[in-house]
Amino acid sequence: MSGISVKELYKTYKGSTEPTLKGLTFQFGKGKIAGLLGPNGAGKTTTISILCGIVRGDSGEVIIQDLKQEASHREAIKHIIGIVPQQIALYPQLSAVENLTYFGNLYGFKGKPLQQKIMHYLELFGLEKSAHKEIHKYSGGMKRRANIIAAILHNPKLLVLDEPTAGVDVQSRSMILQFLRDYNRQGASILYTSHLLEEAQSLCEEVVIMDAGRMIVQGNPLTLIHQHPGCNNLEDVFLHFTGNALRD
Amino acid sequence: MLRLLATIRKEWQLLLRDKTGIILLFIMPVVLITVMALIQDAPFKDYQDIRFDILTVDNDHGRLGRSVKEGLASGGQFNIIDSLDGRPVTAGQAKQLVNEGKYKISIIIPAGATAAIVSNANRIVNDITHRMGMSVSLPVKQTPDSLNVTIYFDPAAKKAFKGAIHQSVDNFLTQVETDLLLSRIKQQLRSKDSSAGTADTLAIRLQAVGLKEQSTGSGKQLDVISNSVQHNVPAWSIFAMFFIVIPIAGNMIREREDGSLLRMKLIPGSYLAILAGKMLFFVGVCVLQFYLMMLVGIYVLPLLDLPQLVMGHHPGATLLVAGAIGLAATAYGILIGTVFKTPNQALNFGAISIVILSAVGGIWIPLEVMPARMQLLGHLSPLSWGLDAINDIYLRNGDMAFVWKNVLRLILTGLAMLAIAGWVEKRRMN
Repeated sequence: MSGISVKELYKTYKGSTEPTLKGLTFQFGKGKIAGLLGPNGAGKTTTISILCGIVRGDSGEVIIQDLKQEASHREAIKHIIGIVPQQIALYPQLSAVENLTYFGNLYGFKGKPLQQKIMHYLELFGLEKSAHKEIHKYSGGMKRRANIIAAILHNPKLLVLDEPTAGVDVQSRSMILQFLRDYNRQGASILYTSHLLEEAQSLCEEVVIMDAGRMIVQGNPLTLIHQHPGCNNLEDVFLHFTGNALRD
Repeated sequence: MLRLLATIRKEWQLLLRDKTGIILLFIMPVVLITVMALIQDAPFKDYQDIRFDILTVDNDHGRLGRSVKEGLASGGQFNIIDSLDGRPVTAGQAKQLVNEGKYKISIIIPAGATAAIVSNANRIVNDITHRMGMSVSLPVKQTPDSLNVTIYFDPAAKKAFKGAIHQSVDNFLTQVETDLLLSRIKQQLRSKDSSAGTADTLAIRLQAVGLKEQSTGSGKQLDVISNSVQHNVPAWSIFAMFFIVIPIAGNMIREREDGSLLRMKLIPGSYLAILAGKMLFFVGVCVLQFYLMMLVGIYVLPLLDLPQLVMGHHPGATLLVAGAIGLAATAYGILIGTVFKTPNQALNFGAISIVILSAVGGIWIPLEVMPARMQLLGHLSPLSWGLDAINDIYLRNGDMAFVWKNVLRLILTGLAMLAIAGWVEKRRMN
């Protein structure tokens, strides 16, 4: 049973001569924590956008939890996926409760059950004392935590996170990673992108390293390290495949 | 329905937190209509209730001079000034004062003007009585005088103003000439009719057909004239309603940039319900703005010595027009917020385009006084449709039947703009 399956995926944006994705292929099993890694411009965000159905691929096949990503399944896939974008996708002038109530309402939740769920997550993420504070008054770590709550209100089976720990302090990062492990233990699949390879090595059961729109290598981080002599960690593996040349 | 109501509540919460937005949406328009009504009060009064001083030099001292002065004074629009510092105004002095811009107009009635009119009337009567075989002859000058009543205008005077004065003075001249001619005819007929004695039995009525002004409105009649308040309050209210483009476009671009649009699109269910909630909220804000400004026209502007706004007798039609204007303005904001990628682009384009649409749409000055080509262009502006519809209700006592065409235009334009925005967004996704 595959959680995510991507086959021969191509995408060229309008006005661009160079394809962003060039036959990208990979597969992650259900219930795993997977990492999508690559240097800047590798096509990670485009891949995530196609997985979520925000951007259409030119050709190829994407299957999410046994559902093909196409018009007829798009709504069903939305129920399955929760996305945590890199930006803080919340209204800065509204409090955490107001934001979460709004997004909860959009999912069709309302009343006391929704408020109980919101308060449960706010406590879980250590935000209960700032529940009614406007988001723009939050620290970077608090914003990231609130951003994650907005993506899990509907208990998605697949949680997609785009650099969820970028720019947060150690405590917030540790808390977020622990939450992801716990959430995964409840049966959810997790796909996340990060430039922090040490974090990916400790968190992910499987990683895909991609570059220039293609999958370079896929496997368990420790297996990949052992398979490549001279590599002591995932960062060494990453540099081994993607090189030291600077990227735009 | 939950998505729609949640979006309305969210927009309301966002507006309440945005003090600058509230000032832009509600306070600035009130200041704008007050200032514009005050500034444009004088130009509107030019042809209505401003009293002008007219320097009058009466070198005739006869019936013509008296008639012109009394006639102009009786209209209530002119103060006759025939002496300065206790001394009669001279022709040279009048010319100089008008040239210096101290007076807008001066009329000089030449010496012997009444005598010339009398002599001309006598000549006509002599001719008639001679043809009737009567021997009576009234005195006439052998060589007719070539006299003119001279008018000096301030070089800055408007053409329409000059035309109106010309017309009035010409009317007085004609009237005096006609009166004198009729009195001479009556005099001759009386002398021929011995049975009449001294009593004036001849009733000569020259005017068989009169002139009467009536309102064109149906049903209850409105006693409304277009004045500064009646033009500026609706006109600048519509302008301010269209300025909702700025917060809407800013709001949409922010949502796109910070990822909340992405989040909304990833939530199952139609995005249309969210968009409908957003639209309903902003249309509601527009309608609220409209009525707030109408209240200013009714209760605040009269405190500043301006006329009170009259809103007609069809509140349902007014509400419909306000809603249609709000819909078009909101849709325009959504279109701009969708098409442009940065807030700077959207805000600059939005603001400038509204200024242009308002200028050609008759918000600044009525379309009727624009050149023909500009009038054609102006009729394409949604702001002119809104203003036309409001004027139909306020000035012409129009009802739904009067305004439906403009309301339909506004709604269809709004829907077209939403369709374009949807198409642009779809292209962007692909």
